[in-house]
Amino acid sequence: MSGGPASTTAARREVVLGLRSVSKRFGRVVACDDVSLDIGAGEIRGLLGQNGAGKSTLMKIVAGFVRPESGELTIHGKTLGFGDPVVAAERGIAMVHQHFSLVGPMPVWKNVTLSDRGHTRVDRSGVSRQITEVGRRYGLDVDPDAIVDDLSVGERQRVELLKCLRRQPDVLILDEPTSVLTREESTALFRVLRRLARERGQSVVLISHELDEMLEVTDRVTVLRDGRVVSTVESAEASADSLAHEMLGQDFAVSAEVLGLSVEGSHASRARTHAPPRRRAAPAGHDVPVLELADIKVTSAEGHALLDGVNLEIAAGEILGVAGVAGNGQEELTGLLSNLIGPDSGEVRVEGRPIRTGRGRQLGRAGVGVIPADRHDSGCVLEMTVAENLALGSLDGMVRWGVVRQQQLHELGRRLVADFRIITSSLGAPLRSLSGGNQQRVVLARELARKPCVLVAAEPTQGLDIGARGYIWDRLREAAATGTGILLISSDLAEIMALSHRVAVINRGRIIGTMPRADVDTAELGRMMGARTHDRG
Amino acid sequence: MTAAEASPPRPAAAVAVRPPRLPLSDYLRVGALLAISIAAAIGCAALLLSVTGSSPATVFGAMVSGSFGSRVALTATLNHTGPILLVALGALAATRSGLLNIGQEGQISIGALFGVAVGLAVDAPRGITLLLILATAAVAGAIWASLASLLRFTRGGSEVITTLLLNFVGFQVVSFAVNRPWLLQEDLPEGSVLSASPQSNPLPPAGHLPTLAQGPGFRLNSSITLAVGLALVLAFLLARTRWGFELRTVGLNPRAARRSGVSPALVGSGALAISGALAGLAGGVLLTGTAFRVNDGFSNNYGWEGLLAALVAGSVTLAVIPSSLLFGALRAGSGVLAATGVSPTIVGAVQALVVIAVTLPLLYLNRRRLRALLQRTGVSRT
Amino acid sequence: MIEDITLIVDSSVRIAATLLFAALGELVAERAGTLNISVEGAMLSGAFAAAYGSHATGSAYYGFGIGVAVGIGVSAIQANLSHRIRVNQFVTGLVLNLLAIGVTSFLLAEVKMAPVQFGLVRIPGLASIPIVGDALFEQRAPFFLLYAFVPLVWWVLKRSRWGLELDAVGENPAAADANGIPVDLRRRQAIYFGGLLAGVSGAYLSVGLIGAFTPNMTALRGFIAIAAVIFGGWTLWGTVGGTLLFGGAEALRVSLPALGVTITPQVLIALPYLAAIAAIALLSQRRRQPAALGQTFRRGIT
Repeated sequence: MSGGPASTTAARREVVLGLRSVSKRFGRVVACDDVSLDIGAGEIRGLLGQNGAGKSTLMKIVAGFVRPESGELTIHGKTLGFGDPVVAAERGIAMVHQHFSLVGPMPVWKNVTLSDRGHTRVDRSGVSRQITEVGRRYGLDVDPDAIVDDLSVGERQRVELLKCLRRQPDVLILDEPTSVLTREESTALFRVLRRLARERGQSVVLISHELDEMLEVTDRVTVLRDGRVVSTVESAEASADSLAHEMLGQDFAVSAEVLGLSVEGSHASRARTHAPPRRRAAPAGHDVPVLELADIKVTSAEGHALLDGVNLEIAAGEILGVAGVAGNGQEELTGLLSNLIGPDSGEVRVEGRPIRTGRGRQLGRAGVGVIPADRHDSGCVLEMTVAENLALGSLDGMVRWGVVRQQQLHELGRRLVADFRIITSSLGAPLRSLSGGNQQRVVLARELARKPCVLVAAEPTQGLDIGARGYIWDRLREAAATGTGILLISSDLAEIMALSHRVAVINRGRIIGTMPRADVDTAELGRMMGARTHDRG
Repeated sequence: MTAAEASPPRPAAAVAVRPPRLPLSDYLRVGALLAISIAAAIGCAALLLSVTGSSPATVFGAMVSGSFGSRVALTATLNHTGPILLVALGALAATRSGLLNIGQEGQISIGALFGVAVGLAVDAPRGITLLLILATAAVAGAIWASLASLLRFTRGGSEVITTLLLNFVGFQVVSFAVNRPWLLQEDLPEGSVLSASPQSNPLPPAGHLPTLAQGPGFRLNSSITLAVGLALVLAFLLARTRWGFELRTVGLNPRAARRSGVSPALVGSGALAISGALAGLAGGVLLTGTAFRVNDGFSNNYGWEGLLAALVAGSVTLAVIPSSLLFGALRAGSGVLAATGVSPTIVGAVQALVVIAVTLPLLYLNRRRLRALLQRTGVSRT
Repeated sequence: MIEDITLIVDSSVRIAATLLFAALGELVAERAGTLNISVEGAMLSGAFAAAYGSHATGSAYYGFGIGVAVGIGVSAIQANLSHRIRVNQFVTGLVLNLLAIGVTSFLLAEVKMAPVQFGLVRIPGLASIPIVGDALFEQRAPFFLLYAFVPLVWWVLKRSRWGLELDAVGENPAAADANGIPVDLRRRQAIYFGGLLAGVSGAYLSVGLIGAFTPNMTALRGFIAIAAVIFGGWTLWGTVGGTLLFGGAEALRVSLPALGVTITPQVLIALPYLAAIAAIALLSQRRRQPAALGQTFRRGIT
């Protein structure tokens, strides 16, 4: 396994964009660690890495949205200051954002001209003409008068691209452009990118997790892991397997180790990689799965399938890991089981009974607990106290005549704070005053204390350090050991491998394969996650 | 055994983060700011007075003695405070659920209108008549406010806009009723000229609020006890009951509420109905306590003042009692200004200045608190 | 009969003009995302300042300018409280309205003012058009500012970059921010523009239409202007139509009894508000309010 520093291939082309020793931290988390990078003219460069590897941060630094602690950025050999997106744009750097920056009720032409500066009037016909012209040049066909809200996701992305391209940037950065696109849309996008690079000599940086498309479209691929450049390889000489190795790195080794495989270059085992959890035998005569999703479909307001016929089953005591690249339906899956959205069709069954989701108390009362990916979204209420947060949604037992009994509330709080070693000044402190790890413990404690028959854990350790992470993993294993069926939704393969009994892969709103963990081949898993077809599983 | 034991939480994770204790100097600073801004507010009013040739000392003196200086003055203050406090409680119930009701003026009017209609129609013993009037007023106010929740939760129309607009519709409903002889217009003796300001017939004594204390020139009605009682009840409900718990959850994080099975629409419309009911009740209390009839312009700014009292009280429920008392006192003080030869309208300006004076330093405090928190917890902000 | 109609049209237009000045400003402020309820306070302050300024300077023109300046001043308080230090915009608006009515009523009781009024201006030729000639072309001088402001607001909203940015800021402040548009600044500027027009409206009312200041003389016209914007579905022509309709309703209320027609005045007074509520209840998705109307902008915490 080649895990060396950036391989310095002799630059065949003029270097357009150069990064020297760029480092950036967010609090305690290192996002970019001494990164150096050279992008040549007319080159399509892939940036590959897992979630949190630092790809997006790095490119936001380049585009001026994030200011690093140290390092240097050059364009055409001249130094460019950090932290000013306007200057970066003037010097020819353009970035298409992961989250669209379009105003929905406005027509395309207004959106395109929105980032222009320095004119008192807007030139509708001029902008429209330019949209048509640039569109024709690159094969991006968009009606300038169409309202953005009426466009498909792919068309909206074309608008974003047009916004960038009509400024004739020297470097075009795309952050996960294909995660929301259909296969046809992706192919069309790649055609545009190639034309940009080959015919116009513009450079493209493509951020992605998807291995196949990396190999398909890029000239070279730089792999990032934990904020560092692991390697830069010629795409023509790389394979999906080798890229998966580079991307997953130690995690791949750890995962393999958990599987009892021997992997070349694997590192010493860590505390968290102990023997795999044993699946508890289901009680006799209790073969009904604790959670069943039957052909669940969820469609977005624009008519895109977000969950496209999902079928899942979890037995009591089982941990089912759902692996996948972020944005492939995980959010909707969690939302569905968090009572936030209802399915357009299909059925959710808990212990064999159909359950209504999207409103009402059925889901919670049936014993479905959720640790949401973003705890601030629906997991807790920051302005309420620790004790109140610990009782959120489980008031049923402590209410008499409509009054919440304070003694029980505090008893529960004291017990959980002690059990889960939550560090807080008092039960009456607002949750906001706790650290992130302790807030997450509050959510975990509340959900587990209810002894749920199903627990949905979405990215349960995202953003936590190793200590907190190991703790939460142990709690999840314990819960499974006492019979809770756990749906673990994670984009962190190491986490999936460390906890799951079975692994399912989600891709574009569909479960494209489910396998016992013993049968998992990590490289194959990585390929399935990055696959752009539906013909698996 | 487990990973947690093998690798105990690192110091990084185990840093105890206490609720934000700002240094004492910050509290002193806020206190000083509060003092300065209130002084500035009074200063502005004083400037206004001296520019127009009045003596600020005389005017402020008159206002203080007119609101607290005698039993008559104190009674006036308390009689004003009752309805203001009721309105403020309703406004609080709505804000806690994340909705802003600014339609209290209309809800007061509609409440009083239906209250007087019932009071004039029934012929029942004292307690029952009064109870009927107050209950009708509350229900009418609740229904009026619920028109706004209907638009909000079925059509997505902002409740702030609709409650605001409904005020002015409510005024005209009242005006319509008291201008129609076949509805609620006062019965005038044959041949007398129509009064300039049309009004309803007076309530029979059976529909009057009980008197707490009485003397020459004053009559303290029981609205203040009712309002303070309800303030305690509401504070308890919000802090201690399942309903209050869910209401606060909806107000602070509607998604977390839905997640725990609580419907934001249901809780929100309930809160808005209660808000309207309390404003309607305030109308009923004004009717049965001091006005005894309904006329054009009945709400007479009680709604706005109650709303502002609630906004001044902020996040502490029971702080509405002193803040309502302040507004009641200002109102009572304005009543005696005419005797000093100064227009009582100055009080409106003073009220506005007081709200600004109290709001700004509290806003500053909240910002400091948030900033301190962000620093302590190391939450990164981009 | 023709005379009666001419009279009613004339008074409708005169009343509608007051509303329209304020509504144009309110439209711009709301398109940028502020439901600026202090428009009432800005109008009232402007009306008073114009009347007092005219009295003090002896010139209706100077007074008018002073009224406009005070309108902008009130809006500056609103803008900076709600979009700089981020006090809730409704609270700010309520307080300013209370302050305006308190201060103006108090000052009116304490100072003596000689009435000053703009003279009538008649555009020769055009004013002779039957029925609408008088209404549109023989009015007090500030009325004719409408012929500048309506096209200006049209141009601002339809053609100018500033207007485009206001729309973006009102519809999707986060996207506007991502495009480098200063959200709070644009919102403040929109409110200043609203204050300018509220000042014009108030000044036109006191030294144009009436020729004197009376206590609380705007009498909720600021709120009618808000209702007109809502009724008009946040479009320019809808707003113009709304003010004409509401102006007509008021004119009818005043003139019908004299013509021997009885109509319930309360219905006519409530009409603007009922129409606005009906618009909220019935209008299609497309003609909804700016998506971020009434919301304070804060960059997301990630």
